[in-house]
Amino acid sequence: MNTITRSLIPLLFILLSTPAWSQHGQEHQHEHEHEHEESVSDSAAGVASAAPATGRLTITPEIEIALANGGTAVVADVLGVVCDFCAVAMNKIFGKQEEVAAVYVDLDTKALNLVFKPGASLDDDAIAALAVQAGYRIAAVHRSPVVLGS
Amino acid sequence: MRARVQLLLLLFFAVGSAAVSARPVSYVGGWTFIEESNRQSTAALIHYTPSPSWSLGLRNEWVRDADYAITSLQPTYLLKRWFGQEYQANVYLQGGLGVASGTSGNPMSSTTAATAGVIADWETRRFFLGYNARYIDAGHFGDNAMQLVRMGWAPYEGDTQDLHTWLMLEIDHRPESADSVSVTPLLRFFRGPALLEVGFNIVDPTPLINFTYRF
Repeated sequence: MNTITRSLIPLLFILLSTPAWSQHGQEHQHEHEHEHEESVSDSAAGVASAAPATGRLTITPEIEIALANGGTAVVADVLGVVCDFCAVAMNKIFGKQEEVAAVYVDLDTKALNLVFKPGASLDDDAIAALAVQAGYRIAAVHRSPVVLGS
Repeated sequence: MRARVQLLLLLFFAVGSAAVSARPVSYVGGWTFIEESNRQSTAALIHYTPSPSWSLGLRNEWVRDADYAITSLQPTYLLKRWFGQEYQANVYLQGGLGVASGTSGNPMSSTTAATAGVIADWETRRFFLGYNARYIDAGHFGDNAMQLVRMGWAPYEGDTQDLHTWLMLEIDHRPESADSVSVTPLLRFFRGPALLEVGFNIVDPTPLINFTYRF
């Protein structure tokens, strides 16, 4: 067992030094644009009513490109998002939707950031239903231009 | 010696995958690979989540000291999930039905095995509290029960795709073991779809290595 124990220490260092585990490889520059809490829709099925809305869009390179291509943005406040597995689940579910050009779950703002392809959209009910598939619940949905501050 | 080789192979596989988890039910359509190794057993599980409320997995668990292994189908049902803006809490029921077979030259014949368990957790971005209880009935290979609690604290709140680091303490109770209660301090590293836990049991000197990867 001592051999196993001794082998763990260098392996741990190797693992932590790889780019996959390193914070230095972080790609996203977060630019949280704090906006008003208007245009909040909580009428969708599966949308919880208790959580306060934030309505701020997190700009990532992918979201910036999608916006530049004419996409429209939606920010949804999500309940229960506490870890990267939550973000992975939402990214997987929403990323598969043909209407979606870019998706990013921000743990700091607890928000699902979506940009739709030009001319495409998902309504609040659809967003709430997809969040349930990912294992989470939407508290409120904010739609552009409010989330973009225009 | 064989145990060491198998454990090192598991660790090698874990590192080779470049990434490890916790929640036993994933998103709809998601696959999850989980490796767990503690003072009693080493297990590998792969599960698929067809619905937000349950998953079905195939688990192979080697109960090292008793020289047998169980290969089983393992359904997990999300009994209840509580959502909050800052927290999430879950209660899961877990079962298993399969075959127990002798290992390491154990001549005993294979037999039907069944497992049952409950998992509960409460988690914020800073604190974690979990409980797990499990019973294994492996026929003539024996039966055993365990329960454990785990407490965790994150020294910083990592954002999406950051490396998340947790300091955790696990206390387990295994009535059949010589040391019925033991303590394992461990580190959890978490990034994207991968989670790795490395610890060492300070009562029953054994490493703990858990790895989860979500596809």
